[in-house]
Amino acid sequence: MIYVLYIIVFVICVYTGRHYWFTLNRLFGFQRHPYIDIDTADWPPVTVLVAAHNEEKVVANILEALMTVKYPADKMIVIPVNDRSTDRTREIIDKFVEDFPGRIQPFHRAGGKGGKAAALKDAMRLVSTEVILIFDADYIPGAGLIKQLVAPFFDLEVGGVMGRVVPLNAGTNLLTRLLDLERSGGYQVDQQARMNLRLVPQHGGTVAGVRLSALREIGGWNENSLTEDTDLTYRLLLNGWKTVYQNRSECYEEVPEVWPVRIRQIMRWAKGHNQAMMTYGLHLLLGKNRATLRERIDGTLLLGVYAMAPVTLVGWALALAVFYQGIAPLHGVIALLSLTAYAALGNLAAFFEIAAAARLDGTRKRICLLPFLILGFAVSIFSVSRAAASQISDLVTGAEFHWDKTERFRKVL
Amino acid sequence: MNPYLAVAALILMVSMMLMLPLIPAFWELRRKSDARPLNVVQQNAGEIRHFASSFRDYIKGLQPILQRCVADGISASGALPDGEEYVVLGRADEPLMLALQQRDTTHPVMMAAGVDLVVPPSGTFSRDIYAGAQFIGGDKNSYRAILGETNVHLGASSRVTRWVHAVGDFTADAGCRLYGRISSDSLIRLRADCGFLRLNAPRIEIGNVAINRNANLPDSSSSRSAPVERFFHDGDFEVRAGDVISGNMVIRGNLHIRSGARIRGSVKSTQDMVLDDGVSVEGSLISARKLRIGPNCAVHGPVVAERELAIGSGTRCGTLSLPTTVSAPRIEVEESVVVFGTLWAREDGEVVATP
Repeated sequence: MIYVLYIIVFVICVYTGRHYWFTLNRLFGFQRHPYIDIDTADWPPVTVLVAAHNEEKVVANILEALMTVKYPADKMIVIPVNDRSTDRTREIIDKFVEDFPGRIQPFHRAGGKGGKAAALKDAMRLVSTEVILIFDADYIPGAGLIKQLVAPFFDLEVGGVMGRVVPLNAGTNLLTRLLDLERSGGYQVDQQARMNLRLVPQHGGTVAGVRLSALREIGGWNENSLTEDTDLTYRLLLNGWKTVYQNRSECYEEVPEVWPVRIRQIMRWAKGHNQAMMTYGLHLLLGKNRATLRERIDGTLLLGVYAMAPVTLVGWALALAVFYQGIAPLHGVIALLSLTAYAALGNLAAFFEIAAAARLDGTRKRICLLPFLILGFAVSIFSVSRAAASQISDLVTGAEFHWDKTERFRKVL
Repeated sequence: MNPYLAVAALILMVSMMLMLPLIPAFWELRRKSDARPLNVVQQNAGEIRHFASSFRDYIKGLQPILQRCVADGISASGALPDGEEYVVLGRADEPLMLALQQRDTTHPVMMAAGVDLVVPPSGTFSRDIYAGAQFIGGDKNSYRAILGETNVHLGASSRVTRWVHAVGDFTADAGCRLYGRISSDSLIRLRADCGFLRLNAPRIEIGNVAINRNANLPDSSSSRSAPVERFFHDGDFEVRAGDVISGNMVIRGNLHIRSGARIRGSVKSTQDMVLDDGVSVEGSLISARKLRIGPNCAVHGPVVAERELAIGSGTRCGTLSLPTTVSAPRIEVEESVVVFGTLWAREDGEVVATP
């Protein structure tokens, strides 16, 4: 028991060190934005896929925004991927097709396997351009975003691109404000530090791009994955393609406004991430592939971030158990555990990271909400642990994963 | 003291201490003083002409006065609704115009000229300038910003702190320091020893350009939109002189392309890259560290170096019909280089003499 605790404390210390490394790099290190200055070029043809499943509340906003972006109109085709919607999504899309002839090619999917990856996979039959951009329907791209996301594809090593996500409904309530802080830490510090350090920036599946030839090389979208973005990141990495992060390519999104939706969202992310960890973890770390040593180490740690929640819970339980067994030499270890535990869940963002991100973003008062993140931390640690437990149970019983769509909160137009 | 009371007091004190950091949190949660979405650049998206366009809109109200001054050959002065003082110049020999002719003066008002504007040397123009006709600046002047409706010419050793946009040609004589954004709708010409950051024009000439102005590389856009076939190599690599390589190259190491080689695709190197004399690349050229191009090379697509970039004389980047971007934190460009599109040094750009 005591050795297990030692191992857990060591792993948590590694994650804590990683957070501090990232934050210090972001504050004081060399910042890499190699493609953001490409503003003039012979822009390649691009397909923009908009994933939409019952998105009547938001789909018109993104289509409107895409029709006004600064990208040669004859080189950009928008494909709204209407995945079995039962609301007015189809009607709204068809109206836009009429209003903008030749610029929008709808893909209405009536049946087939559920989930975003499966829908995107089916929509690929309409795609012929080398560069593909992907947006969820609740995002609102700015005028220059398409060029910014396309620019990295001039680099032949780049297989995937990820932009920065910024909550539009940040001020709605406590949850949205906490998510705003978490997103800030996750993108402004975590993702950009991984970009700076040539580690593994993660593809987010939205405000993102992928190269068609890279996608074909890795076997297309994995419809069995709950998080097609994580799955894509690792398959690209294993095949020698880089995913790059563009911190200045910002796009507004809508974050969950109620806790049950947030809990379902984070549970899906946790399951998908753990699924990728089981599928690619060992191969990435030890197998023969094109990833560099630093990418292998960081990629493995990134795969483990959601597994850290149950591991931390187990660590706490073990620490209590050994304390009540009266094992004296462990005081230091327990102290270390308690100090590092709060900073251990990488993807949920450590407080130091978030404080640094708020500073980099130039925000002022929102950092006062930092103590409330304990609440978000508590909800996350138990939700993620619950997801892991249910995943193990599914594995035993042979139950299939199912995909939960994140509910939208915008008013219907 | 009653022990129960002491315990209660201790618990109360500890609770209060724990609540202390939550006081500003509750305060902010209730007041929502910083709850708006993060302000992200959505519309202008870093567009180089953004400031010039905004300034043109800003001075729209002055246009009737400017036209009247030009028609009547007079000048006028006043203040815009926001309090910004202005001088409108309608005739070259008019008293306010003559006031400009004094050397070593500071001109702290916004200027709008409807006629050719010739300013003397060694002045400081701390407000924006609008030139409805040609703008010709003397040596050693310092400008904040200039919008020229035709040509703009800066004298030697002048300095621009924010931006210049010329609808016609923009020329900077030797030793100018161009901080901020410099753009032209036709041509930018920089003489020796100029410093720059961000330049954009259909054609950017560095130093004396002696090559054919209409020369173009073959149009390879069709080959670039085709699916990528990558030649992957781990470790340093060298392309021999005169070799022709059809395809894209990813080199995880240093790359040296010898004289006269031709790459019919794009090239990426994860370390340093050197292109010798007369190399041509039909796609993009990207180095994760230092990149040395030239002399006499031709690159069709974007050129990016993550650390330093040196461009040798006689090199051309992009074409008139297919402009491109050349970008790096630090750029050194020799004379006789032509860039079609954008030349962007994030930290420091310098025109250096050809060895």
